[in-house]
Amino acid sequence: MPPGGTPTPARTSATVAVLAVLAVLVALPLLRLAQVVWQDGDGDVLRVIGSDGLGTAARNTVVLASGVTLAAVPIGVAMALVLRRPDLPGRAFWRAAVLLPVVVPDFVLGYSWTQAYARAGFTDTLLGLSWAGLLGPLGVWLVLVVNAAPLVYLVVAVGLAARAEPDLERAARVSGAGSVTVLRTITLRLSLPAVSAAAVLVFVLTLGTFAIPQVLGAPAGFSTVTTRIYADLSIGGDPGSFLEAVTLALLLVLVAVACVAPTDAFLGPRLRASRPADAQGTPSSPERRAVRRAEAAGLAGYLFLTVALPLAALLLSSVTGALGVPPTPGNWTVDHFRQVLTPRTVEALGRSVGLAGIAATLLVGLGGLVAVVESRRAGRATASLITLTLVLPGSTLAVALLMTYGRWLSGTLTLILLAYLAKLWAFAHRPIAGALDRLPPDELRAARVSGAGALTAVRTVALRPLAPALLGAWLICFLTALHEVTMSSLLYGPGSETLAVVVLNSEELGRKGPTAALSVVLALLVVGPALVLWCVLDRLRTRRAGPPTVRAGGIAHVG
Amino acid sequence: MTTGSVGQPAGSRSRSLALAAVGVLSLAACGGVNGDAAPSQTVTLYTCVSDDTIQPVIQAFEKGRPGSRIDLFRAPTGELNARVAADVRSGGLRADVVWGCDPLTVQALVDQGLVGGWTPPDSDAIPGEYRTDDYVGAAVLYMVAVHRTDVPAPRTWSDLTGPGYTDAVAVPDPSVAASALGALGWFAEDPDYGVRFYADLRSNGAVQVSTPDDVTTGVAQGIYAAGLTTANSAYAAKGDGSPVDVVWPDPGAVAIYGPVALATSSADSQAAQDFIAFVVGDDGQRVLGKAGSYPTRPGVAGPALPEGAPIVSPDWATIRKDQEAILSDYRQVFGG
Repeated sequence: MPPGGTPTPARTSATVAVLAVLAVLVALPLLRLAQVVWQDGDGDVLRVIGSDGLGTAARNTVVLASGVTLAAVPIGVAMALVLRRPDLPGRAFWRAAVLLPVVVPDFVLGYSWTQAYARAGFTDTLLGLSWAGLLGPLGVWLVLVVNAAPLVYLVVAVGLAARAEPDLERAARVSGAGSVTVLRTITLRLSLPAVSAAAVLVFVLTLGTFAIPQVLGAPAGFSTVTTRIYADLSIGGDPGSFLEAVTLALLLVLVAVACVAPTDAFLGPRLRASRPADAQGTPSSPERRAVRRAEAAGLAGYLFLTVALPLAALLLSSVTGALGVPPTPGNWTVDHFRQVLTPRTVEALGRSVGLAGIAATLLVGLGGLVAVVESRRAGRATASLITLTLVLPGSTLAVALLMTYGRWLSGTLTLILLAYLAKLWAFAHRPIAGALDRLPPDELRAARVSGAGALTAVRTVALRPLAPALLGAWLICFLTALHEVTMSSLLYGPGSETLAVVVLNSEELGRKGPTAALSVVLALLVVGPALVLWCVLDRLRTRRAGPPTVRAGGIAHVG
Repeated sequence: MTTGSVGQPAGSRSRSLALAAVGVLSLAACGGVNGDAAPSQTVTLYTCVSDDTIQPVIQAFEKGRPGSRIDLFRAPTGELNARVAADVRSGGLRADVVWGCDPLTVQALVDQGLVGGWTPPDSDAIPGEYRTDDYVGAAVLYMVAVHRTDVPAPRTWSDLTGPGYTDAVAVPDPSVAASALGALGWFAEDPDYGVRFYADLRSNGAVQVSTPDDVTTGVAQGIYAAGLTTANSAYAAKGDGSPVDVVWPDPGAVAIYGPVALATSSADSQAAQDFIAFVVGDDGQRVLGKAGSYPTRPGVAGPALPEGAPIVSPDWATIRKDQEAILSDYRQVFGG
């Protein structure tokens, strides 16, 4: 069968399904936004584009997105490569630790950093060291990089799990290639689809990011397109500012189109490589112990500064009675926890957990579907298209969906679910796509020929190498949906209050203690089950994979 | 290139997914229809006032009027505006009552013909600067000075431009928070202050942050020594035990009132009118005052307000007219 050639009925229906969902989640809402600009705009679009300060904001946005991508991708890739080594001291611990920033919600991230490093923060109190630049473009950049790096790590790690060819690497080493050459010509070359997937995600995500630029950028007068959109929606409430907000959001979409579509069109087909069906084996050859130790030390230092300190600041804030009092045991209290853990909160939290779980599960299916469809010529643009709703700031995407489906769905959980699906589709798709082209076709065919049913063949042959990618995608989608505030705070109605409502209630009056407590609860809610799951999967894995062949992949990669 | 052979199973999965999507959509569509046919006893309220205030007010209203129900949508002003704008473009405003946090937002809705045209019969009891023919102020935010206890308390607003507060003052962004815009509007129109006040603050090293709540957070944390914020937020920080104090500086704390207005599409809704009358009436105002908001009705007890504290009110009509010019002058100072 020619690859990607003759359309089977199943393939055709997959394409139809993707197109239908694409229309509902991406095309119609975007067209609705465009229609508003077209109809209400009346030539005002030019005035919006020419308004003072927009040029600066647009430039800030693009420079920030590029800067964050350029820094976060190498860091994430380095982490993935270092953590691949089985002889890294304390590897299991590190694999969990690098993912910790992901469990801290956006809405407290900026605060936890100022509490750690700004004037009167942790380092200032203990060592007399504070970093004024944190409240400015550099601070925004750094915090976004630190927050994006785990995402890159996750995507690249699951990509490597599915794609790595340890035998090839060993062969190269035996034939005399140095470790740098092996890294460059084999390991990195094979992980390129995952790396580019991660880069696109980080870039687009940063274009549309809002919370960090708002909190850390404002004191330095650093504005981005998203902070301007927020200002437009906040002041006045007249049709003119609304129009400006929608126009700016579409501008972001255009920037995303201009950057992502060529990347997808050019790189997509070139990065794919097919894998021999039986490629397996131990991960690469052991390195000198000193190198491993240095790697572990570097990782420890990085994580201490970027994760441990801000997290500790957050944790202490959640138990300290008030802002600005020393976080010593004498001032500790559980008041904040008592305040946020009301029956109403628990109900909203439960709703959010359920919604995030459903969204993540549907998204993994949808993401996989796109990954299947895009290998055909007709479906190639799909990947770029679903990225367009990721770039929209939450507020504008919610407005678009409300305008499109509000007549029927206003205030329902379904509309919030649609918003999550639209926002996170690319999040689910890219990690899966980064691994899917490595599915061994011959094995599948062999399974079918030997009498296995279609489902059995997929379950036993296709899902196994894909499992890390699917689980990784699910995890990213679940956490992001769980932490989402803007969209659900705009879309909820009676009986569909989500976590967002609780967050905004607790944020009131600038009191950070209750919000910090809520974040700690959220983090525990995620970390607890994840630890259990991890232990169970780890045990399963070690029982199944007997020596001498330890699979390169495996669930543990997404820890 | 290798995915051809997984076509079969993926296809069947996709069919069930598509079916599921259709199912979810149609289910939800049915749910929506029910919402439209709501009984007249149910009032949909859009507001940005704090949860601590709105919950007791709603409870008191529902208790005093058995059978009535308030469906609440509460969100910060930005989200509230976005929701209203989206409502208007998908079948019309779904709120019967809008309770905003500043007159600019509500006036914009009046100008679009979405709310207004009715106020409760006894609105006269509310001071004239807190109402128009289209809406009545139900609560007031006061913009006051918050300062660390280890710096001297500012006596007047202009003290903040002095040497005691160099590189240590935070102000909220008037292009993000309407309360900050109200304060800017008052300063800009006052002959003794003017936009020059902000220029002096700036040259004294003052910093602009996003919202009044961010000012309070920054001052309480110790990043700044003093700032311009809402009384509610400053007193909350002080009440928690943060080392801050609150000052109502001369010539006065700037009053920003939050108006409540009837939607034009619900003009004949008795329940909605009753709710508004309750909120600005004696009983509602008492509940609101006890819950921590400043009532507009004279003589009703509210949260902390020092005896004889000076209060000034911006001229909202002028601010609305000159908004662009004022903001543009301001941006010469604080950029952004």
